[in-house]
Amino acid sequence: MTYQEFAKRAMEYAAKTGCESSELYFASGESFEVNANAGEIDRYSVSREAGVSVRVSLNGKEGYAYTERIDEPEKLVDHAADNARCIESDDDHPMQTKQAYREVTRADSALKSKTESERIALTKHLEEICLALDPRVKRVVYCTAGYDSGAVVMENSLGLYAERNTNSSYLYVMPTVEEGLELQTGFAFRMGADAADAEGCAKEAVEDALGKLGASPVDSGCYRVLLKPFAMSDLLSAFASMFSADEAQKGCSLLAGKEGQTIASPLVTVWDDPFDAVAPRAFDGEGTPCVKKAVIENGVLKTLLHNLKTAKKAGVESTGNASRRSAASAVSIAPTVFRVDAGILDCDALLKELGTGLVISELEGLHAGVDAVSGDFSLKAAGFLVENGAVVRPVSNITIAGNFVGLMKDVVAVGSDLRFGMPQGGYFGSPSILVSGLAVAGN
Amino acid sequence: MKIFRNCFQNYLVHFQLYMLLRAVIPVDDCRAVLYHEYTAPSGAAYAGAGKRCIHFQTGGMGLNPTGLTTTGLVSEETARAVLHEAQKSGADYAELFLEDNESTRIEMIDGKVESANYARIAGAGVRVLLGTQSAYAYCADVDEQSLLETARAAAAALGEAKFAPNGEIRLSLNRFTTPVKQRFDTIGNADRVGVMRTGARVIKSASSEVTQALVRYLDQVQRVTIANTDGVFVTDERPRTRIFLQAVAMNGTEAQTGYEGPGCCRGFETYRDVIDVEHYAKSAANMAVTMLHAPECPAGNLPVVIDGGFGGVIFHEACGHSLEATAVGRNNSVFCGKLGTKIAADCVSAVDDGTLPGEWGSINVDDEGGTPQRNLLIENGILKGYLIDKLGSRRMGMPSTGSSRRQGYMFAPTSRMTNTFICAGNDDDEEMISSMTEGLFAKKMGGGSVNPPTGEFNFSVSEGYWVKNGKIVSPVRGATLIGKGSEVLHKIDRVGKHMWMSPGMCGSLSGSVPTNVGQARIRVSGMTIGGKGGTIE
Repeated sequence: MTYQEFAKRAMEYAAKTGCESSELYFASGESFEVNANAGEIDRYSVSREAGVSVRVSLNGKEGYAYTERIDEPEKLVDHAADNARCIESDDDHPMQTKQAYREVTRADSALKSKTESERIALTKHLEEICLALDPRVKRVVYCTAGYDSGAVVMENSLGLYAERNTNSSYLYVMPTVEEGLELQTGFAFRMGADAADAEGCAKEAVEDALGKLGASPVDSGCYRVLLKPFAMSDLLSAFASMFSADEAQKGCSLLAGKEGQTIASPLVTVWDDPFDAVAPRAFDGEGTPCVKKAVIENGVLKTLLHNLKTAKKAGVESTGNASRRSAASAVSIAPTVFRVDAGILDCDALLKELGTGLVISELEGLHAGVDAVSGDFSLKAAGFLVENGAVVRPVSNITIAGNFVGLMKDVVAVGSDLRFGMPQGGYFGSPSILVSGLAVAGN
Repeated sequence: MKIFRNCFQNYLVHFQLYMLLRAVIPVDDCRAVLYHEYTAPSGAAYAGAGKRCIHFQTGGMGLNPTGLTTTGLVSEETARAVLHEAQKSGADYAELFLEDNESTRIEMIDGKVESANYARIAGAGVRVLLGTQSAYAYCADVDEQSLLETARAAAAALGEAKFAPNGEIRLSLNRFTTPVKQRFDTIGNADRVGVMRTGARVIKSASSEVTQALVRYLDQVQRVTIANTDGVFVTDERPRTRIFLQAVAMNGTEAQTGYEGPGCCRGFETYRDVIDVEHYAKSAANMAVTMLHAPECPAGNLPVVIDGGFGGVIFHEACGHSLEATAVGRNNSVFCGKLGTKIAADCVSAVDDGTLPGEWGSINVDDEGGTPQRNLLIENGILKGYLIDKLGSRRMGMPSTGSSRRQGYMFAPTSRMTNTFICAGNDDDEEMISSMTEGLFAKKMGGGSVNPPTGEFNFSVSEGYWVKNGKIVSPVRGATLIGKGSEVLHKIDRVGKHMWMSPGMCGSLSGSVPTNVGQARIRVSGMTIGGKGGTIE
């Protein structure tokens, strides 16, 4: 059975069985990934897959069902209707109607035009460069290149039709370096148009690893902290749910009801920009046209992120932030491309501004050491000790702790070095951020 | 519990690219599971070693092929053809994995069902090995043509398809099922919601400071068929269910959460026979309220008592991942070449056991068709074994330990943990605290992570108490524990008498898999305690 037949039968059956409306979300794609180790290809993966989700509205309640077997559309609709029948929440979650979308072009990612053997050669080359850069580089833990292409089609009985094609490329490497008995790992990645940059990726990863040699903890206490772009974008990602109107309406966000209030330092502006070249898209997870907006502007919370459900409840327009984490997931809320606006200070100026304190370049434990409800975090960290504007030595095996809302208020300088972190279910970017004080635990 | 940050990201790159752009789903997309928020004791006491609880239905050759297609996911004939095709470029091993996975998820907020979702994930993967090279191809279609194409795609990675068939592949069928009293396809959403409602009610009524109850429910049945050129042809049925209970307590401007997430590899009867939802709901609510009144944890390097159950996350991160063949087989582990040497204090013995009946991390058959077993990892401080899959076995020159696992057909399998725990010792639970001058009692742990090459780990304490002069003086919040696996194992100076386990999701190269962590209460003589650095009078 083709998807088109499946969709037609599913929507007809939904109407026949009394659903007010029904919606289909079809995602398909192909992927390629290869990992090199000691000059050999030790992992290689290719795939092709597709899945379809049906969402129905029945007596004002919605239900979902998903399958990767494109057969028996009636059975899937029955599953969805059965799920709708058990919903007790009174929230109305309307489906989107027919919309016009802005034309969005996404540049082809770097590995699209490459043949499979070129991609394999690139991966092997990445490992070779790492090993050649410094005699202390002993091996790579990971050395991986990947390319994915995919398509999403959304349609519903209210006339909505939206589709998009995407492709993405990535390259990442983790070398280990050894000096005496000490071992450190480094990491770097390249995405999208830069994904063929093996030289840059290798150099950054090896520098990262070598820079950690000789690292030790500092004494516990309160430090001025310069959070480098990846550390800050990781935090932003971990606390993104604070900006969700759904979390706010459920009483799980400290930002509930704070629209129009100052919640951060006037130096902080945060954008949700669906048209950012990193991952541009025209429509969100329920087919609402995307819009670019400041979420925080000069410290003032301008808006929370809405989908059709939360917007209706709050009496506002959707901000185009409906998200489906996957075709199998229900509609929720997520930022599109979320970034802290860059400032003007370069690295030297920031170190001078820092004076004496810590540069934090890496955070670990983000899946456990953060509480998005309270805003508290306590995370393993690594970076450098800085005295009088000069880097003194690398630092590791410490934790930094604070509260995300407090941290946003304590920002005293913003760098010009905006970078996006490794995508973790979304795109989060930040420049370096100088914070007046965070609790550090070490010796 | 990711293997370490970068790998977790690696895993999430897949996640991102597969899940968002191409929107194929992981088995665990509810946030609790996705972010590996391991939870506290499941109360499922360790039931003793080695008792396999599989229902061995039939075996041997000559089974009616039509009988196969109705219960397995592929006929013997097709499986043989696919393996044959996969070996045409010279692979010395080929394997076919088919999956059909049905799951139901329901979310309830403040006693009202907010969402309900059904998902059926189905597809197949073909893996080929040539020495230590491996290639994997997978596909959501499972008709014979698609399977053959998938086999050709995997084979192509090794070179041209120019090799003649090397003899007949002999397959002999084994079928496994997990004994279930109440199958998930015989219950309705009303039954599921009933269990959830109990949890929500108990959370909300526990205290006036509890402002919200969030309950998530998952059940799934993963049916797999695995065939390989070693002659393995097995089917398995793996029912799992988990309930995640979260309480939010607020006073004025502060909010704290408490949670529990018990789970089993059983049917729906688990909520009657094994998992006491009211008990966990109370515990989640108490944790939120206790933490609401807790000052910030002091920081520093001090002794830490870690309670049993989920406390076992320390072994999982500090040692377990570094014993997996993925790390050891490529010389990326601090424990390489250390077999037979002392890597831990005398009081430490540890085991990974995938055969425990009904446990969250148990498997009837591993994901390359191997037999799970009880693997002794450490005995009285001496390293005794690693966790090895087929590819790791080739790299290390050691036999497989039945430790091959994967999230689903979208992942090539690799060495993973199942139910991993520090064995019970001889020390007294109370004495560990009463003999401590100052330190932390970590009663419940959150998730953790580790970087296996360096052995540096971290994990969070979700419910902690400060101890002074042998007495608990205050609850404390916001503590994180960090250290190096090779060092912390030597610093364990007490192991209690009662071991129990708790479920979690472990993320690594082959995706997110259900695993149990466990231990008896232990004490570590010194660890770095991170937090905002409060002061306890």
